[in-house]
Amino acid sequence: MHDRKMKKYIYNVTVLLFSLFLILIGYITYLQSFESADLANNPLNRRAMQIEKHMQRGMILDRNGKKIAYSKKNDQGTFSRIYPFHDVTAAISGYVGDKIGNAGIEGYANTDLVGINSPLAKFGPIKQLFNKDQGDNVKLTVDTRIQQAAYDALGNQKGAVVILNAKTGAILAMVSKPSFDPNTVDQNWEQLRSDPSSPLLNRASQGLYPPGSILKTMIADAALKENVTTTKEMFYSPGFLKVDDDYTLYESENEVHGNITLEESLAVSSNVTFGTLALRLGEAKLADTFNRFGFNKTFDNEIIEPKIQLPTFEKLSRGEIAQVGIGQGTVLVTPLRMALLASAFANHGIIMKPYLIDEILSPDGFVLKKTSPEKWLEPTTAQRADTIESFMKSVINHGTGTKAAVSGIEVAGKTGTAENSSGSAHAWFIGSAALPSQDIAFAIIVENGDFGGLAAAPIAKRIITNILHTEEVTQ
Amino acid sequence: MISMRQKLILVPDLILLCGTIILELKKYPVFDFAPVPWIGAVVFLSFVMDNLLRKYMSSADLYLFPLVMFFLSIGLIMIDRLKPSLFIPQLRWALCGMVTFMAVLYLAKRIERLKNYQYLIGVCCLLLLCSTLLFGTEINGNRNWILLGPFSVQLSEFAKIMIVIFLAAYLTDHKNVLALPSNKFLLLRLPPFRFIAPLIVIWSMAVLMFVIQHDLGSALLFFGIALLMTYMATGNKSYVFLALIFFSVASTISYFLFAHVRVRVIIWLHPWADPTGQAYQIVQSLFAFGSGGILGSGFSSGYPFLIPEVHTDFIFSAIAEEFGLVGSIFIILGYLTLFYRGINIALHCKNEMNMLLASGLATSLALQVFIILAGVTKFLPLTGITLPFISYGGSSMVSSFIIIGLLFALSTKENNNA
Repeated sequence: MHDRKMKKYIYNVTVLLFSLFLILIGYITYLQSFESADLANNPLNRRAMQIEKHMQRGMILDRNGKKIAYSKKNDQGTFSRIYPFHDVTAAISGYVGDKIGNAGIEGYANTDLVGINSPLAKFGPIKQLFNKDQGDNVKLTVDTRIQQAAYDALGNQKGAVVILNAKTGAILAMVSKPSFDPNTVDQNWEQLRSDPSSPLLNRASQGLYPPGSILKTMIADAALKENVTTTKEMFYSPGFLKVDDDYTLYESENEVHGNITLEESLAVSSNVTFGTLALRLGEAKLADTFNRFGFNKTFDNEIIEPKIQLPTFEKLSRGEIAQVGIGQGTVLVTPLRMALLASAFANHGIIMKPYLIDEILSPDGFVLKKTSPEKWLEPTTAQRADTIESFMKSVINHGTGTKAAVSGIEVAGKTGTAENSSGSAHAWFIGSAALPSQDIAFAIIVENGDFGGLAAAPIAKRIITNILHTEEVTQ
Repeated sequence: MISMRQKLILVPDLILLCGTIILELKKYPVFDFAPVPWIGAVVFLSFVMDNLLRKYMSSADLYLFPLVMFFLSIGLIMIDRLKPSLFIPQLRWALCGMVTFMAVLYLAKRIERLKNYQYLIGVCCLLLLCSTLLFGTEINGNRNWILLGPFSVQLSEFAKIMIVIFLAAYLTDHKNVLALPSNKFLLLRLPPFRFIAPLIVIWSMAVLMFVIQHDLGSALLFFGIALLMTYMATGNKSYVFLALIFFSVASTISYFLFAHVRVRVIIWLHPWADPTGQAYQIVQSLFAFGSGGILGSGFSSGYPFLIPEVHTDFIFSAIAEEFGLVGSIFIILGYLTLFYRGINIALHCKNEMNMLLASGLATSLALQVFIILAGVTKFLPLTGITLPFISYGGSSMVSSFIIIGLLFALSTKENNNA
């Protein structure tokens, strides 16, 4: 009798312990599956560092397979990182070092470069069968020849150049000056960090600048979309626009343009016309325009950007609204964004998602990941985009951008002279060019360079001529 | 034709051989042949023992030994991988354990006689525990080691077995008094105090073990064994309530009185508040679990060294990292099988004392596994006890083999109806 009772109690205890173990199994399953990635990638988890120690870091390659960064084994068995292009590609490659951490592609693609992000990692022990002493290689969309051309064209001036393929969004060049040599960044770290000219900042995608007149291309598009003007309307500019009692907007150099169309207004960069258009659009439609062109959106890929600064539209006075129309006031943008703006008009109204990483390749050459070009936004119609592009060609042919004209090549563009608090105005030039090989869109800024048409437009010409020259040589 | 059952012992032996060969190949071109005779001895002895058991004790539970050898082999290759310098010592402990197992089988022929010595065993157990309380040496934060010449012994591992034997005998003798209590005390139905005095002594010892020796693992284990065995013998839930009240009061008091108790609880609740300081070990263990993922990094391809003391208390984290979720669940299911076989033996025992002894032994093993696994995964506060047959250590190895020896003896025809 008692015997049977005791069996029942033993059974109860067994059930209790089995349940405890089942809960534990559930919890461990949660840890090793759902929580797994978070724990594995936690910055305090030193496994990545341990792996890096005896791993030959993968290479960073340009679109043609040229080495932008690679690791070489020293006599002591450690690796040193070599950047054959020194300062030229620093804005793209970034740097890596034991004490200084990493940045740029070295930072973003770190897990790929050390091989722990490899899709093979999911196969657990099976990955041990493959080459595991070498990280994966990262092939970029950058063309080092174009990068070099842009780097040389900017000369010793502070500023940035972004060039991308308008049809795909692939970034072909990204220059930021002053630059640094990633080969020696470790030794010069303190000096680079405290340098007031911020050489470590990638101005091309992370520098925030007032856009100035280059934003007029977008205002022209918005005005046509919202029917606040037509291509035929004649604007009269007496050299100034009295917005209200407190504020008057002046033309650059107080020039008097007389009766001009929208196309001519863009060509001569009339502040009066675009101030007027901004006032006609009003704050709600202006805000809507910025959103349409993606200024409120971020990229979820290797393009690392600060937040674009837009004004609080509903609080703007009439004077401030007029200023938005000419790209002044509190709007701050990155050169990359301005290249994307130019690409919308060059690519019939479609902005492709910008990207830098084309492929991730295993050390044995297998393509582990490939980025396919992706439509990002369609801010305007093909028809309107083509109209604005034709206006931008007038800028080159007989407007403020004549210094960017290249014989035999269709160049469209817009100059900008952005007033700012740091001294003389920043010189801007954005635009596009139909090269024999591809359609490119670009943005150029020369910090405190003054007139865009004089300081930035000639750089575009130099870059385009340089690219054409190298293309001829290689053909 | 060899039957399935005969082949079973090949599994652990092959794990041991393949594991050590993989590790040796990794050392290429320098090989270390020193462990070879010891590995040979373990493999040889396991074959001989398996054959002897099948020949002379065919009525017993013949799955127990290969199962235990499976854990032993996993433990051995993990120790070779994590701390090669301790590989030969652990192989030696494995041999000691296997010999102890045979000795227990020889001595346990008349297991009922233990009943006559129940108080002697009880007092011995108390003395063992008191001696660690008084003379304990601190190793890795636990002050439960006794230094005997060149050896350091964890007496609590052996006291654990004595407590199970004592409780099995004592509870069977006084089952009726304990099960049908006369006194009512605050809604609880309890027998006269002198009958529950031994239980209260065990519970108090458990609390002292934690407060004085900082040994939370053993404290929980002793407490749990006493509680579950009393319930299994009497079915009286009043003891469960009494124990839980006792436990809550004691832990609340010690939380406010002792700083190290507070620290344990804080680490458990907020490990990410101080991940590089006091919670370092548990956080590193969690990283190992996460980095292992589903399939693991592969044997000897992970970085379990980042966890301090990985070869003893944290050996399961290393297994989870290198063999993944698949491996950790496999190990847990292995222990559940062992527990199930133990309970099965208990349910077939001829008399109550044996039944309680077998279920007590099986429960103590399962509880120990649960406490350490829950500790290294942060499911419960971290405790310092060993994973039976897998963690490094002689005391744990020998005492675990004693438990399996007793269970094996209880599964033979003389003691069992099956």
